[in-house]
Amino acid sequence: MTSHREEKLQYRLEGIRQDYGKHPVLAVDFLGIEQKSIMGVTGHNGSGKSTLLRILAFLESPAQGRVFFEGRLSTTHEERIRRKVTLLTQEPYLLKRTVRANVAYGLRVRGERNNSDRIQEAMDMVGLKPQRFASRSWHELSGGEAQRVALAARLILKPDVLLLDEPTASLDLESAERIRKASLAARKEWGTTLVIVSHHTDWLESVCDKIIVLEKGRVRSPLPSA
Amino acid sequence: MDFILEGLIQAFGLLISGHDETYSAIRATVSASTLSIVACLILGAPLGFLLGHSGFPGKKAIRTIVDTLLSFPTVVIGLLVYAFLTHRGPLGGLGLLFTLPGIAIGQTILGLPIVVAMTATAVENLDRRLKHTLLTLGAGSKQVLLTTLWEARFSLLLAAVAAYGRIVSEVGISMMIGGNIKWHTRTITTAIALETAKGEFSMGIALGIVLMAIAFMVNLSLIGLRKRADQ
Repeated sequence: MTSHREEKLQYRLEGIRQDYGKHPVLAVDFLGIEQKSIMGVTGHNGSGKSTLLRILAFLESPAQGRVFFEGRLSTTHEERIRRKVTLLTQEPYLLKRTVRANVAYGLRVRGERNNSDRIQEAMDMVGLKPQRFASRSWHELSGGEAQRVALAARLILKPDVLLLDEPTASLDLESAERIRKASLAARKEWGTTLVIVSHHTDWLESVCDKIIVLEKGRVRSPLPSA
Repeated sequence: MDFILEGLIQAFGLLISGHDETYSAIRATVSASTLSIVACLILGAPLGFLLGHSGFPGKKAIRTIVDTLLSFPTVVIGLLVYAFLTHRGPLGGLGLLFTLPGIAIGQTILGLPIVVAMTATAVENLDRRLKHTLLTLGAGSKQVLLTTLWEARFSLLLAAVAAYGRIVSEVGISMMIGGNIKWHTRTITTAIALETAKGEFSMGIALGIVLMAIAFMVNLSLIGLRKRADQ
């Protein structure tokens, strides 16, 4: 029988092991992430943070172990599950198209074409004026603007889970603040579960319900909430 | 020097007056090269994508063969295709020898390795983050394939333009398979060779100007496409 607490879990990871060649990069015996929560992940470079996010995003299968999503055992092959989760990396890739086409891509692959209002809403959330930016080409954007477009492309999907991998690491202060506010707004507006990888522990402590520290692929210390 | 200048003036006269024989050679060139570049793209783009995107046994060997074929001499292609299309050859019954489609077959063999090799390189060089980005935005496998090809569109066009440049300027295949038949299979390059041998410089120069103009446009497109592909 499933407990009430387990029913509220967005993810349950059991016995996860991931290796690249002979090098073990992740070894998580158990990890639960509650629905609509914000979990922070921190740790040194190479501690397995990005690998963990790729597994949570169903972009990569672990060599061993099981990933339960909303109580169901899930794999990378399930498009329906993958579409509930989206990942934003430190240096996102923008399609060689306009800002509008980039933001709308996720809706288009879901067969939703009439989406002007949602494009406007997503761009507003990240502080990009549609009149000024929507027709711009991918190569006409600064690093901060590109990151905000990439986040808008994810927010337009109103995802159940938003995974952020060092989303503000190489950004100017204004862009970093926009990214932070927009990400938190996703939880407030749609109850999106957030998993944030960052070295900015001050920020993590101020917004997260739970923070874990990864060390050589292992969860060393689930820190208490701030 | 006078005969060159005289030839140049007469050449412009031929082009402006719409000289039938000159324009017949231009039409033959455009017809054969259009047929062959379409065939090159239909066959070469999927093959190049497969070679660049997938891993399979023998991939390296195939890649080496394709790269070697990039420098296949046109007269050897002409000889091989001739052997197949002549009435004693296995495809002799098709009646393609001394026809424009026959020339197009030879030119397709010439351009195909260029399209395959350049498409494979373009797909190999695509940003590794692309696939994960498409998946995390919810794309299915078919959408990943189509979007990947669209992302490589400038490089694919670059391959087409480079192949067209090689096809339109070759002479060996057109001469051997087409036979340089007046009003029928005489192309720009075979006509230039013939008219020069006859000492008729004006028509040779006129056709040379057209060929240079095509080469110039091809090169301009290449420069523009390279810039877009590198962005």
